[in-house]
Amino acid sequence: MSPRSLFQRMCVVLALIAIATFLFYIGKGHTLFIDTNALTVGDNELRSYASATVIVNGKKLNSSMGRAERSMVVVGGPKHTIEIVDDADTDRRVTKKLTIPTFMNKVIVSIPAIIGDCPEEYWITPFIPPSMVDVPVEKMQQQNTLP
Amino acid sequence: MKKLRLFLIENSVVITFIVLLAIAIPASKLPGQFLLQEILTRLGRSSFLVISLLLPIMAGMGLNFGMVLGAMAGQIGLIFISDWGVIGIPGLLLAMIISLPISVILGWLCGSIMNKAKGREMVTGYILAFFMNGVYMLFALYAMGIIIPVLNLELLLSRGFGLRNVIDLINVRQCLETFIPLKIAGVNIPVLNYLIIAAVGIFIVWFRKTKFGQDMRAAGQDRAVASAAGISVDRTRIFAIIISTVLAGFGQIIFLQNMGTINTTNSHEQTGLFAIASLLIGGASVTKASIPNALIGVILFHLLFLVAPMAGKNLVGSAMIGEYFRQFVSYGVIALALVLYEWKRVAQEDASRAMLRGGVAPDKGKVNTL
Repeated sequence: MSPRSLFQRMCVVLALIAIATFLFYIGKGHTLFIDTNALTVGDNELRSYASATVIVNGKKLNSSMGRAERSMVVVGGPKHTIEIVDDADTDRRVTKKLTIPTFMNKVIVSIPAIIGDCPEEYWITPFIPPSMVDVPVEKMQQQNTLP
Repeated sequence: MKKLRLFLIENSVVITFIVLLAIAIPASKLPGQFLLQEILTRLGRSSFLVISLLLPIMAGMGLNFGMVLGAMAGQIGLIFISDWGVIGIPGLLLAMIISLPISVILGWLCGSIMNKAKGREMVTGYILAFFMNGVYMLFALYAMGIIIPVLNLELLLSRGFGLRNVIDLINVRQCLETFIPLKIAGVNIPVLNYLIIAAVGIFIVWFRKTKFGQDMRAAGQDRAVASAAGISVDRTRIFAIIISTVLAGFGQIIFLQNMGTINTTNSHEQTGLFAIASLLIGGASVTKASIPNALIGVILFHLLFLVAPMAGKNLVGSAMIGEYFRQFVSYGVIALALVLYEWKRVAQEDASRAMLRGGVAPDKGKVNTL
């Protein structure tokens, strides 16, 4: 194999790796848990609208969200737009751009933090599922009486 | 009369299928819109795989049963993007890039082995696919989770290694079909799939006109003459198989994203048989195939797929009878095409031998002059 041919092949391989990396970056899926639970920042308690319509990347969530609710949506890539509309007054709407870190698979998106104009670090937090706790057999509770 | 007879012999498989469909479609009583929708979807799903068979035929290597190797590579790409959680069209493109080097290596291996078994490429490819299936199983049922780390534990068996039998492709499911939404008279048309098929069709047509394509045709027509003309026949044949394997990998990705699931251990097994049956039903032979053959074959094959169970149910009261009949006819056609090809080849050899001897063909029952 001539040096020129080797160089060309190396370039092709490197180009493919670069394209694959780019595709991974723009296509990495994230599960967003849109969360309307109240949030306390400093002394302020932030609340969502009583009923809000949430639109992620131009797609409306299936139903309006009340307070203390969670909806799930799957998105691809790092940059997204979220729009929150108050159902009681459709002129009240907030549109923000979210950037999700590539390796954060499951993310909680706090609607009260976005509406309340909090700093960006409050908008998204990684979702950590509750861990299973091993309880010793003697401490397990058994239901003896039938309902 | 002789021309008509020749036409009937040349197109016997296509005519048989058209006659069968002419009986089965009315008997199935399925609505026309349903059939049209299904055919358009299936044409977009399967044509790429069938078109991937064209180049080895051009290179004189017959029907590439080794395309199953490419299908395995495509599945490996899809398994990785499912694990990494890459979604949508970027996910599909990434799966194609992952499958590319695997397909090239497997295609090179397949082509090299076929060069050592010239004249018996089809059976070699068929057996090679069985062999590689074992290697694939080792990868899917042992290496994943032990040698190759898996991030998404939902893909693994409960024992901690080896992939589950079915992998959900929900993140890429039908993303090609829905990318450019077009609905005409209630029928969804997968525009992007057709654009991709058109692109690969244009590639094949262009490739035939290149010097390398001409070399491939020359090698397919006569290896000795091509070799005497300075063409590296073995290298050309290996390239034909590599391109076919790569296209088969891409085709399997397109096929599975439409289905929405991977049957980890056996999605690839029937791919070769199905694609080859489609191509033969479209009027192709072991030595000659074209893009229209591929498209006609997919339409006829899938129409019979759709209508046979219902036709069987309406005619004899059992859908299974219709399905058995379809399987018998669809896969029997492979045997028929191979027998017809061999019969023609032997007849041609006899005729040319007789001409060289200056006598008449032996099948006329006359004594040759030696």
